[in-house]
Amino acid sequence: MRIARFTARRLLQAVPVLLGVVVVTFVLVRVLPGDPIRTILGPNATEADAAAARARYGLDQPMWQQFVDYLGGLFTGDLGVSIQSGQSVMGEMAVRLGPTLELVVIAVTIATVLATVLGIWSARRAGRAGDHTLRVLALVGNSLPEFWLGLVLILVVYSGLGWVPAPSGRVDPDTNLSLITGADLLDAVLTGNGPAFASAAGHLVLPVATMVVVIVAPLMRSVRASALEVLGSEAYRAAAAHGLPERTLLRGYLARAALVRLPALAALVFGFAIGSTVLVEYVFSWQGFGQWALRGLLFRDYPVVQASVVVIALCYTLIFLIADVVHAVLDPRVRI
Amino acid sequence: MTLLDIRDLKVAIGSVQALAGVDLTVARGEVVGLVGESGGGKSMIARSVVGLLPDGARATGQVLFEDRDVLTMDAATLAAHRGAGAAICFQNPRGALSPTRVIGRQLTDRLVTHQGMDASQARSAAVGLFESVGIRSAARRFGSYPHELSGGQAQRVMISLATGCAPGLLIADEPTTGLDVTLTREILLRFREAADEEGRGVLLISHDLASIARICDRLVVLNAGAIVEHGPTTAILTTPAAPYTRTLLAAVPTLPSPHPAESGESAGSADPARPAGAGVSAESGDPAQPAGSAVSGDEVVRVEDAHVVYGSRFGAGGHHALRGVSLTVRAGETVGVVGESGSGKSTLARLMLGMITPSRGAVTLAGREPSRLRGRALRALRRRAQLVFQDPIGSLSPRRTVADAVAEPLRAAGVKAPERARRVAAVLERMGLDGTYAERRPHELSGGQAQRVGIARALAGEPDLIVFDEPTSALDVTVQAQILKVIGEVTAERGRGSVFISHDLATVRGFCDRVVVLYLGRIVEEGPVEEVFARPRHPYTMALLAAVPSLDGEEETGRVRLTKDPEEAAAGGGCALAPRCPFAEDACRTEEQELRTLGRARVACRRAGALPDLEGPER
Ligand SMILES: Nc1ncnc2c1ncn2[C@@H]1O[C@H](COP(=O)(O)OP(=O)(O)OP(=O)(O)O)[C@@H](O)[C@H]1O
Ligand code: SF4
Ligand SMILES: [Mg+2]
Repeated sequence: MRIARFTARRLLQAVPVLLGVVVVTFVLVRVLPGDPIRTILGPNATEADAAAARARYGLDQPMWQQFVDYLGGLFTGDLGVSIQSGQSVMGEMAVRLGPTLELVVIAVTIATVLATVLGIWSARRAGRAGDHTLRVLALVGNSLPEFWLGLVLILVVYSGLGWVPAPSGRVDPDTNLSLITGADLLDAVLTGNGPAFASAAGHLVLPVATMVVVIVAPLMRSVRASALEVLGSEAYRAAAAHGLPERTLLRGYLARAALVRLPALAALVFGFAIGSTVLVEYVFSWQGFGQWALRGLLFRDYPVVQASVVVIALCYTLIFLIADVVHAVLDPRVRI
Repeated sequence: MTLLDIRDLKVAIGSVQALAGVDLTVARGEVVGLVGESGGGKSMIARSVVGLLPDGARATGQVLFEDRDVLTMDAATLAAHRGAGAAICFQNPRGALSPTRVIGRQLTDRLVTHQGMDASQARSAAVGLFESVGIRSAARRFGSYPHELSGGQAQRVMISLATGCAPGLLIADEPTTGLDVTLTREILLRFREAADEEGRGVLLISHDLASIARICDRLVVLNAGAIVEHGPTTAILTTPAAPYTRTLLAAVPTLPSPHPAESGESAGSADPARPAGAGVSAESGDPAQPAGSAVSGDEVVRVEDAHVVYGSRFGAGGHHALRGVSLTVRAGETVGVVGESGSGKSTLARLMLGMITPSRGAVTLAGREPSRLRGRALRALRRRAQLVFQDPIGSLSPRRTVADAVAEPLRAAGVKAPERARRVAAVLERMGLDGTYAERRPHELSGGQAQRVGIARALAGEPDLIVFDEPTSALDVTVQAQILKVIGEVTAERGRGSVFISHDLATVRGFCDRVVVLYLGRIVEEGPVEEVFARPRHPYTMALLAAVPSLDGEEETGRVRLTKDPEEAAAGGGCALAPRCPFAEDACRTEEQELRTLGRARVACRRAGALPDLEGPER
C-alpha cells in the first residue's frame, strides 16, 4: 500500500536527521559551560572524588569513545544513566513521557477541532460583530502567558468554584491506577478503572484548557483565512449558484477545502505545545517530561539532555509525517 | 409570461460600464443564442440572472424571472431561484468544479437538491447523465476528482451539473470550448432537446457564432455591453443588419466566400478537407514553411515507448493515460498532436515538459532525462521547455503584472534585473504589446492579449521546445486568427522545436510539419501533414477528418463515422478502436496493432491501405 511505503520512506529519511541531532546535542552539551559532576558532588568534594565520579559515568574517556559508547547504547535501547539520580534514563523517561504526550495530544486535538468550527463560523460571518469578537478573544488568549493563565484558572475554577480537583498530581492515588503507558487517562481505560478515569480527566481539565487557550488562535486564523478563500472561490460560488442548501455547501464544498492547510500548521503548533508544557507542568505539578528535561538541562545531566532532545526530534518527525498523510487525505491534488 | 425578461439592465463595476442597457427575453422551449466577443459582457448577463454579480458591481434595471425581479429578491427567494429557476453552466469548468469533492458527488448533490432523488437513485441517474454528455466509463469516473479530468471532460461534467439542477432556464456560458466538433454537435443537440422535450428555456452564450447558430431559435448580438442586433437565427445569418454582426460572420472560418450573405447557403458545400480555420492558418503559416524545412535539426525531445499511469490516490492501479508512445521533435520542426478529448494530448505535453515521469519508457529533453535529475538541475532542464496554456487569463496569476509574469522564468534562471527588464520588453514588443502593457494585470487584458503574454512568457527564457496546448480554443474567432499568426512566426524559428496540440485539425494542417493522431493513449497514425490529411489511412483519422462544422448544420454522409462506445477499451487484446470502428473484423479484436510504415506515414491498423473506401475525403 502506498501510505505504508510513504511512511517507511519518510522514516528512513528521518534517520540521518536524527543522527545529526544526536551528534549536535552530544557535542553541544559537552562544550557548553557547566559540569554535571560538580553540581552533584557539592562544594566540599575533592578533586579525587570528582575524578572517581567522572570515571563512574565514563566521562574520563576521550570524547569520541564516549560517543561510540553512547551510539552503541542508543541502538540497543540503552540511553545511559542519569547523573543526578543514578537511574536508567530510559526508565525515568518512560514514566515522564506518557503524561506529557497525553496532555499535549488532547490539547492540540481540542484546539484543532475548536479552530475548525470557530474558524469556519467566523469566516461565514466575516466582518460582522461575532467574527470580530471571536478574533479579538483568540488573539488575547494567544498573548496570555501560560503560567499566569494557569494560575488564574486555578484561582477561579479550583479555589473559587471548586469544580476541579486540586492542582497537584495527575490522578488521585487512592484510585490505585496501575501504570502501563504513563498516560493516566489511557491507563485508566486500559485497566477499566472508572474512578481513576474520572480523577485523571478532572485533573486534565485545567492544564488542557490553559494550553488550548494559548494555541487555538493561530489555528483558527488559518482556518478562517482558508475558509474565506474558499468562500470567494469560483468553485464555491458556482455550487452556491446552483442553489445547493447551506448544509450541503458547508459539508461538501467548504469544510474540507478549508482544512487542507491545517495539518501542517497543527503539526507546528504541536511542537510549540511540547515546549510550552514546561510551564504548564510546573504550575499544575504535572511531573511530566518537560520538567524532567528542564532539570536535566539545568544540571547538565548529559544523558538526560541527549535523550530528551532525541525524543523531541522523534516526535516532530512523527507528527509531521502524520500531518502529511492527513494533508494528502484531505487534498486530492496532493500525492504521497 | 416569458421565463426570463431582462429590461434595460445596466451594470457598472467601479467606473467601467460593463452593461449599458440590455434587453433580452427567453421563453420556455426556446433556445436563444447570445453572441459577441469576450469581454463584451456576456457572462455578466448570465451572472445577473442568478444574482451572482462580482463584488462591487452595481446593477440597475430589471431582471425578471417569472415576473419576479432577481435584482431585488430577498435571500430566501434568491436561494430557491438558484438552480431550480436558473442554473449556469459555467465557463472555465476547471475553476468552477470544487477541487475537493468527487465529481459524482457534486452531481448527486444537485440531483438530490433539485430533483428530490434519494441517494441511490441519484447515483444511477448521475452515471446516466455523465454518459449522456459523452463521458466514457461513467461509473468509474463517478469517483474522480476534477483535477483528474482532461479539459474536455471537465467541460462536460460542468454541463451535466447544470442540467442536473433541472432548471427552468439553462444558461450555458461557452459550453463547448475545448470540445472537438463531434462532441460539440452532440452537446448542442442536448441543449436543443432540453428546450424541445423538457420545455426549458436555454440561453446559449458563445463567441463562436458558427457552432451554435444551427440550434438557436433566436440570436442576440452583444458588443461592448450593448445589444447591437437581435432576431430569428436565419434572418441574422442571411441579412445581418449591424456591421458588427457582419464582422462576426466574416470571421467564421468555415466560409470559403468572403461574403457572409452568400456563405450562409454555400457553407454546406465547403471543401471538407479544408475545414475550420484553414484559410486563416494557411496564410499565417506561409512564412513558417520554408518548403521541406527543418527536419534535419537537432533532436530537442525524444519520447520512447512511454507509458503514463495516473496512480489512484492511495491504493494500487490507476488510469493508463498513455500506452507506449514514441515521438521525436527536432529543432525547427512543428509537430501537431490531435485526438479526441481525453485521448492523452495534454498528458503527452506534460510528459515532454518533464512535469510527469513516465511509468515505463523514457523521455529525453535537450539531451537529458528529466526523470534522472533532481532539484536545481531538473528545474534548469524544465526551463528548456515551455508550455502555452489553453486558458490564457486563468494561467496568469491575478496579482502579478504582465512584466512580472513574463520575467518569472528569467528570474528563476537567475538573470539579473536590468538584463531581465530588457529581455521582457523585447519579447513583449515581439508579441506586439507596447510598454503600456507591462504594468497591467491579467484582468485588464483581453483574451487575445493575455494569450500573447502567455506566449511571451514562454519565449522569454528562449527554450528549445514550446508546447502549445490548445492555445486558441478559448479565444474569439477573430482573435484566433491573429494568435495563430503569431504562433506561426514563433514555430518558424529554426533553433526551436514546437508541438501544437489541438482538436481542430485545420489549424494543425495550417502550420505543422508532422502530425500525430492519438487515440486512447496510443499513436494510431503519424506522418507528414500533407500525407495524413490528404490520404488518411487509419479509420480514426478518417473519422476525425470527416467531422466538419458548418453554419447550416447539414449532416455529412458517406464518410467514416465511428459508433459510440460508452466504455473505454481495457488494456491489451486487440485494436483499441475495434468497438467503434466500422471496418472492424474479428482479427482486429485479438491482434495488438503496431505502427507500420505505409507510404510516408505510419499507421496502426491491420487493414490500413486495404480498406473498402480507401479514398480520403479529398478525392
Ligand atoms: N491527474 C490525473 N489523474 C488521473 N487521471 C488523469 C489525470 N490527468 C488526466 N487524467 C486522465 O488521463 C486521460 C488523458 O487526459 P489528457 O488531459 O491528456 O487528455 P486530452 O487529450 O488533453 O483531452 P482534452 O482534449 O479534453 O484536453 C483522461 O482520461 C483523463 O481523465
Ligand atoms: S485494426 Fe481493425 S478495428 Fe482497428 S482500426 Fe483497423 S480496421 Fe478498425
Ligand atoms: Mg487537454
